[in-house]
Amino acid sequence: MSGILSELRVLELANRPSGAFCAKLLADQGADTIKVEPPGWGDQSRQEPPFIGEVPHPDRSSVFLSFNTNKRGITLDVEQAEGRKLFLRLSQSADIVIESYRPGRMAELVLDYETLAQENPRVILVSITYFGQDGPYADYQGDDLVAQAMGGYLYAVTGSAAKPPMGTALQQMEITAARNGAVAVMAALLRRDQTERGTHIDVSTMEAAVSTPSGLVHPYTYTGRNPHRGGSDGNVMDGMHLPTLDGEVTLTTAGTGGRPMQAWAEFLEEPGLTDPKFATRGGRMEHWEELHSLVAPRLAQWTNLDLMRETMARGLVIGLVQTPTQVVESPHLEERGFFVELDHPETGAMLYPGSGFFIDGDNAMAGNRAAPQLGEHNVEILGGELGLSLRELGLLRAARVI
Amino acid sequence: MSEKGVLDGVRVLTLEQVHALPWGTGFLADLGADVIRVESPDHLQDRKAGPFPDGKAGEEWWNEGGNLVYYGTRNKRSLCMDVTQPRGKEVFLKLVEKTDIVTDNFRPGTMQRFGFDHDSLSAINPRIITLSSTAYGYTGPWRRAGSRARTVDAACGLSYLTGYEGGPSMRASNNYMDHSVGNNVAYALLLALYQRKKTGKGMRVDLTMLETGVSAVGPAILEAQKGITRDRLGCAHWWKAPHNVYPARDDDRWIVIVVSSDEEWERLKEVMGFPDWARDPRFDTALSRWRNRHELDQLLGEWTSRQDDLEMARDLQEKGVTAGACITARDLVNDAHLQEREYLWEFANPQAPEVGARVFAGRPYRDAGNPMTLSKVAGLGQDNGTILTELAGLSQSEIDGLEADGVIFGAPRPDEPRP
Repeated sequence: MSGILSELRVLELANRPSGAFCAKLLADQGADTIKVEPPGWGDQSRQEPPFIGEVPHPDRSSVFLSFNTNKRGITLDVEQAEGRKLFLRLSQSADIVIESYRPGRMAELVLDYETLAQENPRVILVSITYFGQDGPYADYQGDDLVAQAMGGYLYAVTGSAAKPPMGTALQQMEITAARNGAVAVMAALLRRDQTERGTHIDVSTMEAAVSTPSGLVHPYTYTGRNPHRGGSDGNVMDGMHLPTLDGEVTLTTAGTGGRPMQAWAEFLEEPGLTDPKFATRGGRMEHWEELHSLVAPRLAQWTNLDLMRETMARGLVIGLVQTPTQVVESPHLEERGFFVELDHPETGAMLYPGSGFFIDGDNAMAGNRAAPQLGEHNVEILGGELGLSLRELGLLRAARVI
Repeated sequence: MSEKGVLDGVRVLTLEQVHALPWGTGFLADLGADVIRVESPDHLQDRKAGPFPDGKAGEEWWNEGGNLVYYGTRNKRSLCMDVTQPRGKEVFLKLVEKTDIVTDNFRPGTMQRFGFDHDSLSAINPRIITLSSTAYGYTGPWRRAGSRARTVDAACGLSYLTGYEGGPSMRASNNYMDHSVGNNVAYALLLALYQRKKTGKGMRVDLTMLETGVSAVGPAILEAQKGITRDRLGCAHWWKAPHNVYPARDDDRWIVIVVSSDEEWERLKEVMGFPDWARDPRFDTALSRWRNRHELDQLLGEWTSRQDDLEMARDLQEKGVTAGACITARDLVNDAHLQEREYLWEFANPQAPEVGARVFAGRPYRDAGNPMTLSKVAGLGQDNGTILTELAGLSQSEIDGLEADGVIFGAPRPDEPRP
């Protein structure tokens, strides 16, 4: 399918995972998305391990590959006057520009919203930074872990009560900021249809982190208690991971009609679970080691997929703690057609995740392009679309503008 | 709000429970859509979930929980109606005629049983967009499985990758995936509205928590196909060191410090006053810092453990070192940055006068062209009358009849257990 956003053009000048993922969300819906990278090393994440094939190479970083699907790529040094000029020309045909410089830097480069909007009043500028465009921390430096810490997530959510704070893997605050940005872009596009005017959107990764748990702020303001990490400690039935024959599982007390221990005793064929001391949540926490010693050996007899099938048949609710390999090989995802195969000259064809939704039965992933190689579309875009001659492109290359 | 919201005129009927879907439709409500939460008198879990003032549910507990303000019925309207009864169903279908979007998070099959599946609704209103937000989707062998947000954190691979360095896998969160999915719901619905403007046709969206989760762990999905295993590292990093959480002076206070370059390492050394250990050549290069990171973390932790986390973080940032205090919810409420950005919202819910004004997290982005405010929080069945009169065209006596016959409700049943 051609994609819902196929008539739109996105320029990404992001160099950070949040901006790259935000642009990817739009690119995967068909927007013609041009990633603008600094000449030389390119996007920072090109240099980040791990690399596909374990060989360090700017086109093989798994983070770069997965955050930049369905984009075209050019190199352009916007720190140089000629580069800025070309960027401004490109921005005239852009619907959306995504950037992640420190606040104020776009103004120094004379690429701020006012400048862009002067030439193209319909442009929507998205600034995704760690702390937003204003406020005392605006100039602070960040990364995903800092956002987790300063957003209150790290202290409260993932780790064990008796241990130091510990966060969620794989840059989830960057992802959440990107999703917030994509929502804001869609709202701005709908608004633009009414007003013919673009806008400047300010996305903060710290604020994404604050908003991400079910509410750090209001549980405190209602109860006076600080949410604290450790919710899965000793929680055999509702939080811990327990080994199976070929993996791990996490149980729940859901789907048991309010009689969780009877239901699980029956399913696991372990009558000891009905002991009254396990009847309440408090009792289960108090005697968790004993409970664990009854539950774990039973679960260890099951394979993941068998356990999923049989609990599902009885209405019990579990979660398989799947490894990424188990996810890739998931019969469920295969039957749904969730993964899309994208070919790439350096890595070969690989399966990439879809968007998370199907529209009228189709996986909503427009396009079939893997991440661009560094400067892959310089000639196509700067030559073909902006009309620069090969000689001019040569000059720009010599001057390290592209 | 002086100007109308961008979604003014868009109506959403939502049969929603728990967290992910209400969070998603909350964005549409913020943007001006008329989001009507159709609530069942038999499933009031969300209204029992609190949090309640000092943990105690009050007289009108069903309108007092903080989650209602944060996402449950924020900027929405409430119609408390039993749609499983024929007259409830009839009213629901009348409302569909004047609706743009119908969303639900029942397990696959339930909407069909109600007669509310996409084809049935589309026959009434061809412009209807329906979205079901489920754990595993409408197709595939797991479609009938139940879930919790954390079981999806597990199934998508995120929890397997989360854990202390060298330790077992750990639950990534209790409900991170609820929010990620809620964001994806809002994105998909706005895409659908955008598409409908072009085609005039409604559409069907099958959105899943599992797949939204997998889309958030893309790097690991690619690595798995090439035999690369991603070790659990806690707060440590694949190539940066120092990059971890370190103890501060006071009990259970911590700071995160991240060094990405030799220059940043030099600046950190300067802030520390060039202690002898930091001059050790083992810490001079990125590679040697990473190789010796356990010792480096230990030594740096001794330095951090003598200081106040907030002051230390401010000092480090001012001198160009990436750092952040690991703050608590109480700190967030008092955070000068969030206050200056007007991120925190104080709101007194008129439906719960006993609760008074409380502070809430605000919206995670700003757009002056699309301002979002918190203008109302729907009490249970608060909008029954106006919705049924204005949209379903019922007379007052018909509405009274529905109430007398136990089809619509303005409060829980008298025998409803208190939370």
